[in-house]
Amino acid sequence: MVSIRLIAAILTYAIGLCGILPLFPWLTTVPRLVLAAGLLAGLWQDSRKSWLIKPWMQNSVIVPVFLYYAVQFSRANPIQPVVSLLAIMLAVRLAGEKTVRHSLQIHVLALFCLASSSLFDLSPMFLLYLGLMLFLVAIALILLAFQSQENSMLLSRAELRKVLLAGCLMPLLSLPLLLVFFPILPRTQLPLWNFLSSPAVRTSGYSDKVEPGVQPNVGESRALAFRAEMARQQQQQLYWRGSVFNRLQENRWVRVEGIPSEQPVSGGVSIDQLIYPEPSVSRVLIALDRPADIRLTRLKRSPDGVFEYTGPLGRRINYQARSVTAGAVAANAPLNRRFYLHLPEGIPPRITGLAGEIGRLGRNDLERLTLLETHFRNGNYRYSMSGLPTGERALEQFIFDGKQGHCEFFASAFAVLLRGAGVPCRLVGGYVGGDYNQLGGYYLVSEDMAHVWVEAFIEGRGWLRIDPSSFASNAGEVWNPEKSRSLMLRLRLSLDYLNYQWNRTVIVYDFEQQFEFVRRAGKRLHGINPAGIIGSGWPYLAAISLFGTLLYMIRNTTLFRRREERILRRFLKRVGTEFGIDAGQGRMGLFEIAERVGNERVGEFAAIYSGAVYRDRRLTDQEYRRLRQILRELNQARKAL
Amino acid sequence: MSPSTRNQVFIEMLETLSRDYLQGKEDVLRLSVIALLSGGHILIEDLPGLGKTTVALTLAAITGLSFGRVQCTSDLLPSDITGLSVFNRDEGQFSFQPGPIFNNIVLLDEINRAMPRTQSAMLEAMEERRVTVEGVTHHLPGPFMVFATQNPSDQSGTFPLPESQLDRFLICTDIGYPPRALERGIIAGGGIRERISDMTPLVTQDDIMTARRDVHSVYLSDKVLDYIHALIIATRSDELIQTGLSTRAGINLAQASRASAYLAGRDYVAPDDVRNTAVAVCAHRLVMRGGELSASERGIVLRTIIDRIPLPLV
Repeated sequence: MVSIRLIAAILTYAIGLCGILPLFPWLTTVPRLVLAAGLLAGLWQDSRKSWLIKPWMQNSVIVPVFLYYAVQFSRANPIQPVVSLLAIMLAVRLAGEKTVRHSLQIHVLALFCLASSSLFDLSPMFLLYLGLMLFLVAIALILLAFQSQENSMLLSRAELRKVLLAGCLMPLLSLPLLLVFFPILPRTQLPLWNFLSSPAVRTSGYSDKVEPGVQPNVGESRALAFRAEMARQQQQQLYWRGSVFNRLQENRWVRVEGIPSEQPVSGGVSIDQLIYPEPSVSRVLIALDRPADIRLTRLKRSPDGVFEYTGPLGRRINYQARSVTAGAVAANAPLNRRFYLHLPEGIPPRITGLAGEIGRLGRNDLERLTLLETHFRNGNYRYSMSGLPTGERALEQFIFDGKQGHCEFFASAFAVLLRGAGVPCRLVGGYVGGDYNQLGGYYLVSEDMAHVWVEAFIEGRGWLRIDPSSFASNAGEVWNPEKSRSLMLRLRLSLDYLNYQWNRTVIVYDFEQQFEFVRRAGKRLHGINPAGIIGSGWPYLAAISLFGTLLYMIRNTTLFRRREERILRRFLKRVGTEFGIDAGQGRMGLFEIAERVGNERVGEFAAIYSGAVYRDRRLTDQEYRRLRQILRELNQARKAL
Repeated sequence: MSPSTRNQVFIEMLETLSRDYLQGKEDVLRLSVIALLSGGHILIEDLPGLGKTTVALTLAAITGLSFGRVQCTSDLLPSDITGLSVFNRDEGQFSFQPGPIFNNIVLLDEINRAMPRTQSAMLEAMEERRVTVEGVTHHLPGPFMVFATQNPSDQSGTFPLPESQLDRFLICTDIGYPPRALERGIIAGGGIRERISDMTPLVTQDDIMTARRDVHSVYLSDKVLDYIHALIIATRSDELIQTGLSTRAGINLAQASRASAYLAGRDYVAPDDVRNTAVAVCAHRLVMRGGELSASERGIVLRTIIDRIPLPLV
């Protein structure tokens, strides 16, 4: 007969260890010591079957610890306090009595500990621990269910085997469900917090054409455009380059094929980014200006530095990009100036007049550019999203009359004037700015940050990025980076962090990668050699020995036995080796053994031991000492022979 | 004398008997004393000439108890055992002449030769420890013990005891042939019948009555009780056995185990006591499937069952 309580306690310790072991190397000294102390205190008290540490003591210890770590917690240091608190809570629970309720708490805390260890290191060992814990928890839950019904329930070996089997089967049976829930179901492509974003009103935002003067007002959408995981940059540098518009058709800037080849020379500081765009109808891949390389399969790269995705639309993807932050990108090949100077027929004379004037005044392209810039800066242009000129002559109205508009007007007007003045240029669509989420280490860029600017080609310097919108008289207000450090924004960023993690770890993480991960884990496990285990793979060793110890404990739980049982085991073992009598499993009575052996000491042992056990009392200390002495004497007698 | 030292008398008595008188019959002697101390009766099932009567006689002689003997035949009447009222011409009234059953130790030789009516009268007396003759109830003397014998080989003209009657015997055992050397010694020395009359009692009637009380207070722990119960339950579900052990069998097994522990010099029952007495106490009570089996065959079945049940060692 085996007591359910005992097994449940053993399992609870094992589960606790499963949570502690992977986390232990990452903890600071104090939680480590507390964990060790808690574990030892628990084991010691369990073996004595009396609990010095009462629940109220545990609870009153937790409160100050919680307060301490709550104060420590910050965005810069979010993990260590949480993990330490978890570890200490687990230690405190392990130190106390293992009631059903406390056991369950230990299971949960251990699971959290294991989960939080993955924040430090996601090795295949994590899977191993997780699997082990899954089995242990399943068995423990069954046993705890029994225990909650009757605390002192006993199970025979056959019943115990049945329970263990059921406990092992449950996780195995749930494996198919796990497959459904983990790799398949999450790919629903639905963002978690989409409902928090205001509904889109179509909109300013990124589009594949630039057409100022279509609508008098443009709404702003806070809908997410993309996230870019990267180190924090200067706010002025945050131009996210998307598409290039190289041809003005009537009032519309579009992108036409036949782009002349140019060979950008990379230089300056390169910045690596990992970009997670929201699904959209656009194939253009965004990266920090100016992208030198994007790594993605099914990619089309144009000579003007535009990257397009050729795979199916509407799927979540992510890609790595490397950008060069030099404001100018040198081009070594002679530029096809005609292509970038083309203007359609019917440009209003007022515009051609102004452009021609600039072209005459400036002696070279750079001077003409500076002249035009000065014109914009001094022209008292205002950046505005409402009261916009419309119609065919919208651009003309913007330049000469209304002088207020959004980036499309600024960029469009600037480019038309530049081309008119004879300076090759093109429009670039993308985004500007971004909210940095320190928690996740990424930039959050929303659709209202969509932007259009101009790139002008200056002989000898290459393509220069010019943002005409920044020449507006109210640019300071609009482009103030501190504009919205409000509570709402912070809340939004925090929520977005969860959403981001969800996309990042579950949705975008495609099946091939998961499969690859599992394969790699399997391969690593496969390649274990014994020497390697002792050398570097101590976690493997720990897991295996944990499992072994557990088996051993289940099979013969000497550790938790009363001293009567311990000494009897020793006695039977001694009799077995000494006199060749196999009396295990209650096959022979002690007196029968004594009679068969005919040894005085064995007889004395039988008399003393039975005198206590079959009178239903514990061995006294004196008797216990005498019995141990008898065993020693038996041992010595053998050695003397 | 304390209970723990009083049993020394019986231990010495057993030693004397098996050393000086009944060599090679230690087991049956011990079982007889167990029956005596726990107030039960014993049925010895063996061939004639193996010393059944001698055991009974010796036991009576060494305890100083009165001895009566009934040789059962098919025409034996109940009154031949219990006694009957005879008219006393001098006193002018009937007076009761007690039969052989009014002795402390009664040997019922070849009990299966008696008619069922006589058997049941005897067994009733054994159970009730009193005899009612012509409306008057006569109590049987202080320690009362029946030594019944039965010849298993000679079955013609016998009335085998029904199971219900067998259940009334605390112990049923055989004697068996003595070992070769012992048997030669016995043959050389002749019987011991003559020496029996010269034996001096080693224990008194009071000793026996006190010992019975002591046996009754031998400690039986829950663990051993569980063991006894597990044994009984196991016989009820064995496929070779039609009817398992009754509750009375359990009571008797506990009694016999107590007496066994007492004779081993202990004041508590060890599982060994149960194991050592179980076959003698229980085997004859089993009703086997597939026809009659001899007592020894039933003993083998019961032994295998006992071996299956682990002893409570902790």
